[in-house]
Amino acid sequence: MSKVYFSTWRGESINNIGKPDDQWEESAYNLPEQYDSARNAKAFIGWDGVALFQGDIDVVRLAMEYAAQYQVYSEACGRCAPGRWGGRILYDLMDKIARGEGTVSDLEHLKEVSATMQITSKCEIGKTVPTPLLDLMVHFEDEFMDLITNQKPSKHYNLEDISYIAKITAPCTDACPTHVDIPGYIEGVRDLRFDDSLKATRQTMPLAHTCGRVCPHPCEDECRRTNLDEPISIMALKRLGADYETDHGFEFFHPAKAKKPTGKKVAVIGAGPAGLTTAYYLALEGVHCDVYEDLPVLGGEVAVGVPEYRMPIDKYNQDIAAVADLGVNFITNSRVNADMMRQFEKDYDAVMVSVGTRLSKKVRCNNERPEIEGYWGAIEMLDQVNLWDKYGIGERVDLTGKTIVCVGGGFTSMDVVRCSIRAGAKKVYMIYRRDEKTIIRNTTYEEYHEAVEEGVEFLFHSAVEEMVDEDDVLKTLKINKFELVPDPDGGRAQLVKIEGADYTIDADFLIPAVSQAADLDLLPEEWDLEMTSWGTIKTNGKDYMTSRKGIFASGDCEYGPMTIVNAVGQAKRGASVISRYVETGEITLTDDEIMEDHLRKIKVYDKKEKITGWLAGIPREHAEVLDVDERKTNNREVNLGFTQEQAISEAERCMRCYYIAMAAV
Amino acid sequence: MSKTINFTIDGQKVSVEKGESILTGARKNDIYIPTLCHLAKATPIASCRLCVVEVEGSEGFVLSCNTQAVEGIEVKTNSDELYKERQNIMKLYDVNHPLQCGVCDKSGECDLQNKTLEFDVDSQNFAIRDQKRQKKGWGVLSYDPHLCIMCERCTVVCNEVVGSMALYIKPGGYKSLIDNHYSSCIQCGECISVCPVGAMASSDFKYTTNVWELESVPSSCAHCSSACNLKYDVKTVGVGESATAIYRVTNEVAIESLCGAGRFAYDFENRATKDELAFVKAVEAFKGADTVVFNSMITNEEAYVLQAIKEKLGLKLVNKEAKKYQEFLMNFASVSGTKLYSGSLKTIEDSDFAVTLGCSISADNPMVRFALNIAHNKRSAYVTCMHPLEDESLRNVITQYVKYEVGSEEGLLAMLCDLVVNEEAREKYKSFFDSLDSGYICGESSVGEEEFGLLYQKLRRKTKPVIVAGADLYNHPRAKNIAKLLGMIAKYSEFDVVIVPPETNTLGVAMICDLDETAGEKTVGYNVEGDFTLSALGTGDLDMPALNQQEGTFTSIDKKVVPLNAAIEYEAYELNDIANALGVKAKNVIDYTASLPQDSGFKNIEFDALENRFTMFEGIRGYFLENVSVKGDDSVEEIDDLAEYNGSVIYRCNFPFNQFNSFTNKAHQTESEPFLEGSKQFAIASKISAGDTVRFTMDGKEYTRKFKISKELKGTLALNPVFDSTDNYDEYRYKQVKLEVVNG
Repeated sequence: MSKVYFSTWRGESINNIGKPDDQWEESAYNLPEQYDSARNAKAFIGWDGVALFQGDIDVVRLAMEYAAQYQVYSEACGRCAPGRWGGRILYDLMDKIARGEGTVSDLEHLKEVSATMQITSKCEIGKTVPTPLLDLMVHFEDEFMDLITNQKPSKHYNLEDISYIAKITAPCTDACPTHVDIPGYIEGVRDLRFDDSLKATRQTMPLAHTCGRVCPHPCEDECRRTNLDEPISIMALKRLGADYETDHGFEFFHPAKAKKPTGKKVAVIGAGPAGLTTAYYLALEGVHCDVYEDLPVLGGEVAVGVPEYRMPIDKYNQDIAAVADLGVNFITNSRVNADMMRQFEKDYDAVMVSVGTRLSKKVRCNNERPEIEGYWGAIEMLDQVNLWDKYGIGERVDLTGKTIVCVGGGFTSMDVVRCSIRAGAKKVYMIYRRDEKTIIRNTTYEEYHEAVEEGVEFLFHSAVEEMVDEDDVLKTLKINKFELVPDPDGGRAQLVKIEGADYTIDADFLIPAVSQAADLDLLPEEWDLEMTSWGTIKTNGKDYMTSRKGIFASGDCEYGPMTIVNAVGQAKRGASVISRYVETGEITLTDDEIMEDHLRKIKVYDKKEKITGWLAGIPREHAEVLDVDERKTNNREVNLGFTQEQAISEAERCMRCYYIAMAAV
Repeated sequence: MSKTINFTIDGQKVSVEKGESILTGARKNDIYIPTLCHLAKATPIASCRLCVVEVEGSEGFVLSCNTQAVEGIEVKTNSDELYKERQNIMKLYDVNHPLQCGVCDKSGECDLQNKTLEFDVDSQNFAIRDQKRQKKGWGVLSYDPHLCIMCERCTVVCNEVVGSMALYIKPGGYKSLIDNHYSSCIQCGECISVCPVGAMASSDFKYTTNVWELESVPSSCAHCSSACNLKYDVKTVGVGESATAIYRVTNEVAIESLCGAGRFAYDFENRATKDELAFVKAVEAFKGADTVVFNSMITNEEAYVLQAIKEKLGLKLVNKEAKKYQEFLMNFASVSGTKLYSGSLKTIEDSDFAVTLGCSISADNPMVRFALNIAHNKRSAYVTCMHPLEDESLRNVITQYVKYEVGSEEGLLAMLCDLVVNEEAREKYKSFFDSLDSGYICGESSVGEEEFGLLYQKLRRKTKPVIVAGADLYNHPRAKNIAKLLGMIAKYSEFDVVIVPPETNTLGVAMICDLDETAGEKTVGYNVEGDFTLSALGTGDLDMPALNQQEGTFTSIDKKVVPLNAAIEYEAYELNDIANALGVKAKNVIDYTASLPQDSGFKNIEFDALENRFTMFEGIRGYFLENVSVKGDDSVEEIDDLAEYNGSVIYRCNFPFNQFNSFTNKAHQTESEPFLEGSKQFAIASKISAGDTVRFTMDGKEYTRKFKISKELKGTLALNPVFDSTDNYDEYRYKQVKLEVVNG
């Protein structure tokens, strides 16, 4: 809800022109009336309309500046006739009117060109740039006519008192925690320019192999194509660029050349996705990074948590090599403690803590004692499996003849049960408190069905009540059964235990995979860092600095157990903030980042929008997966990826929903 | 997998394969939808937006070029609204387009002119501030950004067809331009041919003529064995003159491609006048000779005439290179059971797994290179190049280089057989496989077992594999067994095989002539030096017409008989005249077209009945040879010890890419001086430096060449381009030589 003077945002029609301040009608949307802590916005204009936060706005200049932004930003486009010439005409004619040389016929031409752009442009930028301009021309016709009739420049035309700050976005990009230029990398695939595709990805996402394989793709939930038929298979298209680079043995396609060393240095604690990302973007900025890793191997949970069949290590190692290629220094087998942290604070210009969450939480059942043989934390179990499978470190996990019970419902628990099958287990159960629909929502449809195919038995609406042991050796588990009872008041349905429905299952192992906690022993006590109520390091979620100056945190140890892409997004922003902090000692966000946060609040994707200009009914492509018999006894990658024909066909479904938003501040 | 989608366009029922676009459906049924940027041979570009259509029940206009057809849709290609939008697009295209049609090369065949007229745009309502831009000259091509409409056709073909990825879009909205990574540009001119306006122009053709004055003569390219379709555009050389000249070469750009030689090396004609005395001497020379030596720069009909003369006069026919190729095919056939190999350029384009062996891809046959690139782009084909030299220019196409020691081809092919042939072959050739010593082969060839392991792993799930054999193999000391092993792969595996003919019509000659091993004492040479020489280069004792002055046919790499027409008149004597004088009678040489030997797969079709036309999707030219079944000795030998090559090894290989033979080198745009080119490593090993003039003997001929260091080459090999088809080789292309520096 924003206080506005005038708004046509997302089809609303609020006009408080001439009304006294206290009678202003409010906008239904979260528009950025407050630009940042120091400044208010005067107006906000974008693909879906225009909002003025006060009267006395030079709307003609505003319209001209918005058209100008299309010229500036059309470097991302300029690839169709209506967009390329039409956009330029919009700008030239708007500028002509604003400087006091316009004619009435210019207004007509503006409308005509706008209509052509709206109908036939290649991407949504071309189609939507005219939208707010037409709104202004209609609702503020008097102001336009005044300038034309009197041949005078608009009131701010020759003043530079207002900043016009613009930002390109897209629904998918907005939904992606690290704001990948998704239409850009898909265009690279469509153009068969996989180098361009990869460069587009790596602008904000260094782990292209990884997030082209195991990302839960929140972007696909906000893909505009969903409004027409099915979302684009966004994630799967990402790996094509990375595979091209790897298959042909090219040098790494970095999004830009790394800047000259600035002499500044940063310590990064943890070489998982957040640590790698921090180091990558700092290295591009010329900041030296030492990355300290507890494990003998690099990559964090993606290396020792995500199994080989989902994320082949040689591919992940390529992502890591791309980071190392920029001169990042990795130090493995180095567990950082509080003393080291105290020293780091002195030796480095900043420290990024990205140690993840590597403590398995308890199931909270009776007799849950870690010393019982057969009680095995998910993290420890996956560490052992992956260190052996991928690196030959430690010993092989052999579960031949064993019965495994995993309690969970998220990605980690899926990895546990599917690895158990591959380790030869006789029987594998997954115990989950809620139902099938929820487990699919928490993971993915494919993940769940592949596990079922491989022979995992899912026990829904169930929970472990007690571990039963003999001489500290696990024997059986007592299970409670629940049912969902609808709330008579219409609230959320409640899980209620079914009396008398308890049962017992034999079990050799109970593997809790309910959640993980952060192990933050490394933080010196006297720093007294502010923590969240769920035991992670607290930041403001914008600049990722902790309560102690110069100490930053990102990834799971900041957010709690979450996705790879979330960790990358936080670390990318953190790296950006650090790159300025080490030079100036100030914590700042760029205009681009401020706009990014505003847009996320408004939400770029509108699930109610009706799509025109595209044919519905073209199905989403699905990559071939290995048959269950071909995969369940080994670690071969299950998902074979798109064929080239599938990739091109899928890329052609992308509607290139780029948009420009602009704030006048 | 493929499924038919049925729908209607303007009420007419059409069907396409699943995945094909609405536009393709229209084109297949001769329904017109206007386009500016579309090229059938490339993926949809979608920049011009003219191809918008209406679909019943779908709001707004749908782009027909990159929208897959959906079952049951009703498409409308025309309405007042569509016309108006297309007209608006053309108005935008015309904004600030220079009104210099009078001096523009493209005028008269310009898509912008055509569409402007079609949509009735007769005035400019909009103006934009114009901008000054830099014209660019990139060798054979000139780029004028003022004329450029940014349709992106040039960048798309450069990437998707040629694979050099030289041209790219320099984005910037209204300021967008095309730019060139010039060092990657192979000067093929594909970009010029696809440009719908005058922006990408031929530097040489520019300002020479109005296009409507040109007359097109459809023919086949004479430079390499692809024998691509092309049109020689000719006109008289001046007012009142009757002599004509070729001004340029064009082709069916939407569906076919040409390399730089085809496009730019067109003026190799031999302008000669009748020399009766020389003709009499020529007839006498034939009568007094015991051998005719010739090369494969010759039509099928001329080859047939030579065969007839041989039979009539009892002469020997010697074409060393074709003989080796012929033997190679025969040995191949003895195991494969068919006279010809199974594959073609199309097979390579459609493959998902391609191995090349003994072929310098870019230099030997540019269309093989293009086809591999298309396979890589459209099918993500796994392309393995087995060769002693890594070709840097194909890095983005080739997925795996298998770099081997010169001389180890037989061993490598045996290893390939071991990877791919079926159980039946293993049974039949048990002793061969039992004796195969992979450790020895890997050791001697410097190819690791893991490289074969990777190949095998990548072959999994591939359904259209192809192996391309090149000219390194035909003259190999172990050519016989190599050919047989290739035959084994052809017969006992899923692989298609292509055996690239080394010269333009080597395959035709091999199929038509009964060739002899060695020449006798008195020779007549045809485009090869003899005691009496007939030459289309104008350097012999009697002039002959060049291949752009003749009617006839070639037999291409695709095993296809394709027609040539005379673009330039030829007044003097030709081979048929000599034949007539010798009693081999025919009015015209093309009277023999229908008589070409049917036991080699030729058909009884008159020259004038050969097809030569095009649809929206393919060229229909000539006919394919029948692949005749043959029986022969299908045994194979065990692998011989692999030869070792040490010291300075030189490779007979043409370079740069647009160079093939004496005719290519005669054309004014492709003349070039041959250098000895090698890596830095080669220079150090051979103790020579860049700029040195060196002398060496190769294939019995002494060469004096300037030495150049090339960054593109790796390893201790140097290239010795010859550009000279008057020599005709039957020796292995690699030679260990002694280099002598002869500076000053």
